[in-house]
Amino acid sequence: MKKNIAYCLVAGLLLSCGSKMTDEEIASIGIKTCQAQPAYVRTAGLNPSRSALSTSEKKIMGLVLVEIPANPADMANRKTWQHPSWKAFGWMGPITTDDKGNAYTAPVPLINLLNNPTDKQNIVYKVSGNTGEMQVLADLPREAPVMPDNPYGILGLYYDCHAGKLYASSVAGSARDKERGVIYMLDPETGKIEDKLEGVDALGLCTGGVTGTKKLYYGSSRSPDIYAVELDKSGRFTGSPQKAYSLDMLGPRGDDKARRIRFDRNGDMLVSGVEFNFNLTAPTEKQETSYRFRYDEETKSWRNIMQ
Amino acid sequence: MHIKQFIAAGLALVILVNCTNQEPRTGATAQTDDHFAATAVLSDDSALHIPELEARMNKIRQSLAQPLPVLLLEQTDSNQAKAQRLVCADTRFKANLFDATGQPCRNEIFSIYAARPQEIPKGHQTASVYRVELYNYALNLTTIALADVTTGEVLGVNTYPQTQPDIPEFLKALALKIAVNAPDVIAALGYRPDEKDALMANTKTSLNRTRCERSMHLCVAPTFVKGDKALWAIVDLTDHRLVGIRWTHVGTTGPAPRISERNLRFEKIMTCNCKQQQSIDKDGWKMNYVLTSSDGLRISEVYYQGKPVINNAKLVDWHVSYSNTDGFGYSDAIGCPEFSQAAVVAVTQPQVSTLVVDGKTAGFVLEQTFKSEQWPRPCNYNYIQRYEFYTDGRFRIAAASLGRGCGNDGTYRPVTRICFAGTQNNFSEWNTNGWQPWTTEQWRLQDAQTRYTPEGYQYRIADAAGSGYYMTPGNGRFGDGGRGDNAYVYLTKLHPDKDEGETDLVTIGPCCNTDYHQGPEKFIEPNAENVQHSGLVIWYVAQLKNDDAKGREYCWAESYLENGVYKTRSFPCLSGPMFIPVSR
Repeated sequence: MKKNIAYCLVAGLLLSCGSKMTDEEIASIGIKTCQAQPAYVRTAGLNPSRSALSTSEKKIMGLVLVEIPANPADMANRKTWQHPSWKAFGWMGPITTDDKGNAYTAPVPLINLLNNPTDKQNIVYKVSGNTGEMQVLADLPREAPVMPDNPYGILGLYYDCHAGKLYASSVAGSARDKERGVIYMLDPETGKIEDKLEGVDALGLCTGGVTGTKKLYYGSSRSPDIYAVELDKSGRFTGSPQKAYSLDMLGPRGDDKARRIRFDRNGDMLVSGVEFNFNLTAPTEKQETSYRFRYDEETKSWRNIMQ
Repeated sequence: MHIKQFIAAGLALVILVNCTNQEPRTGATAQTDDHFAATAVLSDDSALHIPELEARMNKIRQSLAQPLPVLLLEQTDSNQAKAQRLVCADTRFKANLFDATGQPCRNEIFSIYAARPQEIPKGHQTASVYRVELYNYALNLTTIALADVTTGEVLGVNTYPQTQPDIPEFLKALALKIAVNAPDVIAALGYRPDEKDALMANTKTSLNRTRCERSMHLCVAPTFVKGDKALWAIVDLTDHRLVGIRWTHVGTTGPAPRISERNLRFEKIMTCNCKQQQSIDKDGWKMNYVLTSSDGLRISEVYYQGKPVINNAKLVDWHVSYSNTDGFGYSDAIGCPEFSQAAVVAVTQPQVSTLVVDGKTAGFVLEQTFKSEQWPRPCNYNYIQRYEFYTDGRFRIAAASLGRGCGNDGTYRPVTRICFAGTQNNFSEWNTNGWQPWTTEQWRLQDAQTRYTPEGYQYRIADAAGSGYYMTPGNGRFGDGGRGDNAYVYLTKLHPDKDEGETDLVTIGPCCNTDYHQGPEKFIEPNAENVQHSGLVIWYVAQLKNDDAKGREYCWAESYLENGVYKTRSFPCLSGPMFIPVSR
């Protein structure tokens, strides 16, 4: 133990605990994107400039590449393409892409568990940017036995362009009376877990530096609250979660959970809020509301600017 | 009582939360959040009769009869009155006063005030621009207009779907009237509060913001502070009723959680009916019941006059297929509202009511409703489980769809599992040669060729002594509007050492098989077992074709406007077998 402390002190002097970041560097986190176009898109027969990955196409299970039509009126007949491996693992949920054109996704059951067995809900899949092949990247540990009460595993994925790390939030094993979720930081090449934040049931994830500190923002899957936890340059967790803002009483429902968090060029936080109650209800008409928050330097707090 | 015994009794009171809807008024039990969730009251059908509501309804009816169906703001100064007149003459402002069928919606002007500087368009005088806020209760839509009372112009009109303006004082007063007169509030506080009482020093009243997230109605929460607790009374100003009440601790360690329609409802059901088993002892029947994660309302340990009848019964899946689109449909599980595998969730507590046949009490009903949030909008569902227990020993295990689903070409197939008591049962089917025993696990379809006894029985399940039940499938003769079940019946052996559905089942089958492949066949094929002198499980899969033809609606629901707000008319298709005691 003493040896470890000594090592840390020496390392700290040399590296300042994970290297310092410049203000400019921090400010660009979450804003500066790095996503590259995957090579396989060029052979898919779709217009690469108008194509995007989706897991929410009606009646198409798994991951699908969708060409957004030039004329919005043609949306009903939009072209789609699927690699054969993309529908082999059931219905999918979160998607994130990296600077090499690779994509990462994870299963999320839709309405029932026929195609999404509970013991396969904690797997991160990686889609090769070159071949389009989808393969297991990491089968994340379960913090507790799979319970019939909670059909979910991974709910959020985010690739941090700044550190080149992949974050995955899992609620596997969480129960109504016990929050057992974990946010993992993974090596996107090997799937190895490099750090984790325990006791957190999170939905949407995103890194950001607009407050002057590198943080991972996440939406709680249990409340309308959005939390932030400090990260070091390498993406490791260095602090404890602090509430950043809440969707409470906002939007048509008033208790949305933050499914997706992103930052725009101005540093505004864009949040997609949905109803989520750890069940398998799935209204056909997607009930999703967009929110926008701006950081106020004077008060050091986020404020809703959608009103 | 020794001190240790007293402490133990106190602990038991805390752990076994009381779900009887009554807050203990004395005693020093530590009241946990679970306790408050358990003692919450869901006031599903409360209708108050107070003069203020009658006056309100008269105003609404008068408004709906006008060419301009708008409840105007009554207390206005001359500028506000002018602004109101201006916007009410503007076609943009009037664009959403009626629904698509031309029926008037309930519209009300909530407020008119001098616009704030940032709201005033360039070139207009600050003092002359007024903002008018209109709320449409039916569409949950807010319309905001700016009018210049000097120039007589309407400067702009914007609509905000699924948005509610700030609630005006006169509606807050009405909400308070509803709350203080509600029997549930009076019972919870232990006295009947009125506005004067509410202002007394020992009982403070405030109006908390809340939401009715499921109904999307306009709601507010008068909150009564009593000692170290606060009673939230959620009032629905669209339907003029109390939605429910719940106690919270007055914040000593931070703000108390916000109480809304959804969390009030879900917490109560989760605490009292998902985490706890309830019991009934009534009309000669005894049983337990609990809401499951994915198998609906499960009854168990069912006894009639002291004799075991059913180990357990539940509804495993609803399979819904649509014939116009091959392979299109859903396989829905029903169950608890949170932390469950349910696609359609329980939104009320199980209801026990009197069973009346031909005007006479014949027993009781245990019923549970599961509902999609946006029902009866297309592709939303409403299912009912109904257990009927007769004083003469008969019982029926029924299920109904109340639509509306994704089309008028739908077939609903509820998969019900009934595990009979006893380990030495035999199962027989009636045909032209009398009762024929089933020796192995198998299934049968009820169709035009099916034979029934003169009494209408198709099957018999009985023990070695001949004691048991006849079974009559739904055949359109139960007087409930049912048109016949066309049911698949499966018989499987109960294994004490192998779980074939005794515990919560994940989805047992896909949506759209139209033959016997509904799921239970998995426990029969490929090697059907001998079922003679065995514990037995009956699986019953009714097949119910929906219908939206006027006058013939079945498994269907539709919305209609009543007093300017949407109500629902439903046409259930009730299915399920009746069991009649074998008289020896």
